[in-house]
Amino acid sequence: MKKLFLTLAAVCLLGAAAFAEKKEVHIISVNDMHGKIENFPQLAAIVDSMRAVYPDLLVISAGDNRTGEPLNDLYEIPAYPMVMLMNMVGFHATTMGNHEFDSGAAGLGKLMGMSGFSYICANLQPNPELGVVPRPTQIFDVNGVKVGFVGAVEINDRMTPDTHPDNVVGLTFTPVLETLEKYKGLRDECDVVIFLSHIGYEADVEISKDLPWVDVIIGGHSHTQIAGGEMHNGLMITQVTNRLKRVTHITITVEDGKVVGRKAENIEVEGYPKQNPVVAEVVRYFSDNPEFQRVLATLTAPMTSYEQLGCMMTDAWRVETGSDIAFTNTGGVRYDSLPAGPFTVSDVLRLDPFGNDTVQLELTGQELKDMLIATTYNDTYGFPKVSGIICNVIFDKKNPEKIKELKITNPDGSKFDLKKKYKVVTNSYTASIADSPRKDQGRALNRTTASIIQEYLEHQGTIDYTGVERTFQSVSKK
Amino acid sequence: MNVQVNRTVIEIFEGAQAQHAVLRYLVRRRLSKSLLTQGRIFDAWGHEIGLDAPLHEGQTIKFKK
Repeated sequence: MKKLFLTLAAVCLLGAAAFAEKKEVHIISVNDMHGKIENFPQLAAIVDSMRAVYPDLLVISAGDNRTGEPLNDLYEIPAYPMVMLMNMVGFHATTMGNHEFDSGAAGLGKLMGMSGFSYICANLQPNPELGVVPRPTQIFDVNGVKVGFVGAVEINDRMTPDTHPDNVVGLTFTPVLETLEKYKGLRDECDVVIFLSHIGYEADVEISKDLPWVDVIIGGHSHTQIAGGEMHNGLMITQVTNRLKRVTHITITVEDGKVVGRKAENIEVEGYPKQNPVVAEVVRYFSDNPEFQRVLATLTAPMTSYEQLGCMMTDAWRVETGSDIAFTNTGGVRYDSLPAGPFTVSDVLRLDPFGNDTVQLELTGQELKDMLIATTYNDTYGFPKVSGIICNVIFDKKNPEKIKELKITNPDGSKFDLKKKYKVVTNSYTASIADSPRKDQGRALNRTTASIIQEYLEHQGTIDYTGVERTFQSVSKK
Repeated sequence: MNVQVNRTVIEIFEGAQAQHAVLRYLVRRRLSKSLLTQGRIFDAWGHEIGLDAPLHEGQTIKFKK
């Protein structure tokens, strides 16, 4: 009897020991937050609740924390509000998204110095002079489980992330897969290996077949809403849509140093019933941004028409991008008058509020003419506003919506060459709706049209558009 | 670059987002541009993607009203 009791006791102890080896790693992951600071009070409440249950919770971002929200992007130190709020929530790490570079390398370096979380990005070479010193990998000890991260950002044909080329001067990037291969030793050091990816969902699926040493890909860049996690080639891939609408709660179960379970679920952030009151107060502080009242230039005379404001906008795009000609759909000019006096950041954001990117194209004179006509037909507000040319538009009397004749001249009145090639700039909306024949569809400059207007006004100091008119519209006699 | 929207090949500028390709698609099909904000965009795998999701050469997306 005594022997039986001892045997049973030994079995129970062994069983208990076996159960003790099973541990869970919990991660809250986000991606492509794009400066959505308004959702941080809810995010903080979610993280608070999760930490109450899982004290070792990791909070991780797959990049593009910034860009897309004026409250964040136009702060005195651009994107500082996001860094501050991520510090408050207690993020552990982020990888670089292509938009992390939108303030240039020096701007990124400054933000990295203010961050209480690490930047994990193996395919960006550190540049200590600029303060850009990401880690290629990082290992977290989560309740005795070693969780290793390796990060990477997407790179294009120019071997840089998709941002304005000026923003990555001084930085060197290396191919994603080739770089990741150098760090597969993480498998031996860690119980769990996670690729923190900003290369997009399709690239994540593609690369997963080459990463048998990785357990989970926390993805970003393509704004892909995955329902929890998806298994591809033995890896679990997660990603959520942009602007902090949701987060992913990842649970990884480890037994005897091996991953035996992976699951992920989405948690709604927008509409989450609780807010962290301290974070909410900080968001209110950042929302009352004095930067919006900053004076960029002085208007010496009032602006009194869409034409004048459109001329100013397109002058800004043409001059600041070094183009020959600029034009905008008229619907892109959002008000028609501004009194003499200060021209503020807020005035620019009301004038051009859509967050459009700037698109530069190389067009022949004829292709430009076709594009102007196509824009007129597909924008409901009439003929575009222009810079670098003068346009005389004659609408058909029998069909007033149809252009019967468009005469373009150079600003000095000389003949416009329809065969010559011009460097033309417009906004991304116009470039999309102008469905006309042309060899070059153009390329985004990764700078908002509003930011270029601000730059132009600052460079000008004072402006006066009294009497400026470049599009003359009439109706045919027949 | 070329992308496909609902099996229609759309030529669009480098660096375009999903909304730009869909706008061009709507214009080409002579549909109202206001449908852009009423519909949803999905990738080739059937996942919903955001209006400002970046596109790459050869990508296929679906726009559903």
